Amino acid sequence: MGTVLVRNLHILSVDMESGIDLQGSVIQILGGFGVPAGLAKVIWMPVPMLLMLVAATVGVLVTVWLERKISAAAQQRVGPELAGPLGTLQPVADGLKLLFKEDIIPTRADPWLFTIGPAIVVIPVFLSYLIVPFGQNLVITDLSIGAFLWIALSSITPIGLLMSGYSSNNKYALIGGLRAAAQSISYEIPLALSVLAIVLMSNSLSTIDIVNQQADYGILSWNLWRQPVGFVIFWVAALAETERLPFDLPEAEEELVAGYQTEYTGMKFALFYLGSYVNLVLSALLVSVFYLGGWSLPIPVETLTQWLGVDEFSPVVQVITGSLGITMVLLKTYLFVFLAVLLRWTTPRVRIDQLLNLGWKFLLPVSLANLLITAALKLAFPVAFGG
Amino acid sequence: MLKFLKQVSDYAKDSFQAAKYIGQGLAVTFDHMGRRPVTVQYPYEKLIPSERYRGRIHFEFDKCISCEVCVRVCPINLPVVDWEFNKEQKKKKLNHYSIDFGVCIFCGNCVEYCPTNCLSMTEEYELSAYDRHELNYDNVALGRLPEKVTLDPMVQPMRELAYLPKGVTDPHDLPKGSQRAGRRPEDILEEIEAEKAKRETASAESEKN
Repeated sequence: MGTVLVRNLHILSVDMESGIDLQGSVIQILGGFGVPAGLAKVIWMPVPMLLMLVAATVGVLVTVWLERKISAAAQQRVGPELAGPLGTLQPVADGLKLLFKEDIIPTRADPWLFTIGPAIVVIPVFLSYLIVPFGQNLVITDLSIGAFLWIALSSITPIGLLMSGYSSNNKYALIGGLRAAAQSISYEIPLALSVLAIVLMSNSLSTIDIVNQQADYGILSWNLWRQPVGFVIFWVAALAETERLPFDLPEAEEELVAGYQTEYTGMKFALFYLGSYVNLVLSALLVSVFYLGGWSLPIPVETLTQWLGVDEFSPVVQVITGSLGITMVLLKTYLFVFLAVLLRWTTPRVRIDQLLNLGWKFLLPVSLANLLITAALKLAFPVAFGG
Repeated sequence: MLKFLKQVSDYAKDSFQAAKYIGQGLAVTFDHMGRRPVTVQYPYEKLIPSERYRGRIHFEFDKCISCEVCVRVCPINLPVVDWEFNKEQKKKKLNHYSIDFGVCIFCGNCVEYCPTNCLSMTEEYELSAYDRHELNYDNVALGRLPEKVTLDPMVQPMRELAYLPKGVTDPHDLPKGSQRAGRRPEDILEEIEAEKAKRETASAESEKN
C-alpha cells in the first residue's frame, strides 16, 4: 500500500511539471495585464468548452465524409466528389440542406416530447466530451469520476429515443424507440463491466490516470494486451450503443422505415444524425483512451527524448509532444471509425432476439468473468496489473 | 461436470469460429477497397450501347405503306397509323404516325415485322421528360436520328463489358485499337462464305469428273 502511495505521489509530482498547461499560461498572461486571477479563470473557462464543441462538430463532418468515402470504396463506387475537393464539403452541404428544411410536427403527435426528444439524445453525448483527454492537461475537466460520468450520461440517451419514438404517433417510430431502449439498456452493462476492469487496473476513474497508467512502456503497456477480452466486449457494446450496423435494428429501414427517426425532418432530424455520429466518434475516442493508451506514443516520450538528447521539459519539445499526442489520439480514434465503417459493410444486421441473446447470454457473463479474472490477476501479479 | 466443461469448450469454440468468420468477411471488404470503381460516372461517361440495343424507335415516313402490321404485332396495339385511301392512285396515303414511348415496352416486334423496314431500333435511351405527353413521338420526332455517344465531345464513351478485350474488366484507359474478345461477326461471315465457295468448287469438280 505504501509503495502504491509513493508511486502515485511520484506520478503526481511528474504531472505537476509535465504537459502544457494552457489555463495556467493564459491566467498568467492575463495577470500580466492586471486582470485578477479569478476573473482570468472565468474568461478562460468557456474557451475549451467552445473549442470542444467545434472540435466535436468538425469531427462529425470528417466522420460523415469518411463514412461515405469508405463505404463507396468498399462497394467499388466513387462516392461524393463534386462538393469541394474530393467531396469534402458534402457533409456541410447535407447539414445546410437539413438546416433549411421545413420543421414538421405530425398531427396528433405530442409536440413537447417530440421537440425535447432529439435534444435529450444529443446533449449527453456532447457533455461526455468533458472527460475526453487529448493530453496531460488538454482536457476540459479531469474529473475523478470521469469514466463513471460517461456511463451515467450514456444511459440518458435511450430516454430521449423512447420519448421521440413514443411521441411521433407512428407505430414504426414506437417500435424503433422501444428497441433502442432495450438495446441500450442491455449493452450498457457489459460496457460498464469492461470499463470497470480497466478502472480496477488503473485504480482510478479519471481518464487522465487511465492513460498515464498505460504510458510507462509505450505500446507494450497499453491495456489492449492486458484486457483483450474486455477490449472486444467494449467495442461490440459500443457499436450497439451507437446503433452502428450489426446492431442498427432501432432504425432498420427494411422493417421499421427509419425507427424513431421516421417522423423527423429538418433540424430535429439533423440533431439525431449529428448525435449518432458524435456518439460514434466518442466511442472510438474512449476505446483509444481506455485500451490504446490515449495520447501516448507507441514509444514513450521519455525514451524518444533521451535518444534524441533533448530536454523533455523545454517549451518547444513540450509543444511538439503535445501536438504529437493529439495526433496519436485522433489517429487511434479514426482507426476505430474506419473499423466501424468496414464492419458496417461486412456484417449483416442481427435479429432482435439474437441481439438480446448476445447481450445477456454472451457479453454479460464473459465480461463478468473478465472482471473477476482481472481482480484475481491484480491480486496475484500486482506489478503487471496495477496493484 | 465433464458434460458442462464440454459445453463450455464447445461454446468457446463456436465463438472463436464466429470471430474468425467475421475476420474473413472484413478481409474481403478491405480487399474491395483497393479495387477501381466499377461505376460509370454518368453525365460525364456513358456506355456505348451494344449493336442490338433496343432503344427509341426510328421511323422513316416515306417508306411506310400503312399496312398496320406494326399495330397488329404490338402487344398493346400502340402505334397510331393515320392514313386515308387515295382513290386516284388506289394507294393508302399516310398522314400521321406516332408511338407513345411512355407506354412502349421496346420489345421490337414492330421493327421485326415491318415489311418495308421503315421501323428500326436506335441506341437512344435518354427519354426522360417533364410531362408524359412529351413522350408521345409523332412521325417528325420519330424520324430524328439519335445522337451518338462517341461523337459527343462532353462525354467519355465507355465500352460495355462484352466489348472489352479478353481478361479486361475496366473500360478506362484501354489501349488504342484493342479489340473485344472472340471473333467479330464480319470475320465469321467471311469464313462461312469462303467455306461455301470451297464446297461449291469441290462439288463442281466432282461433277466434272
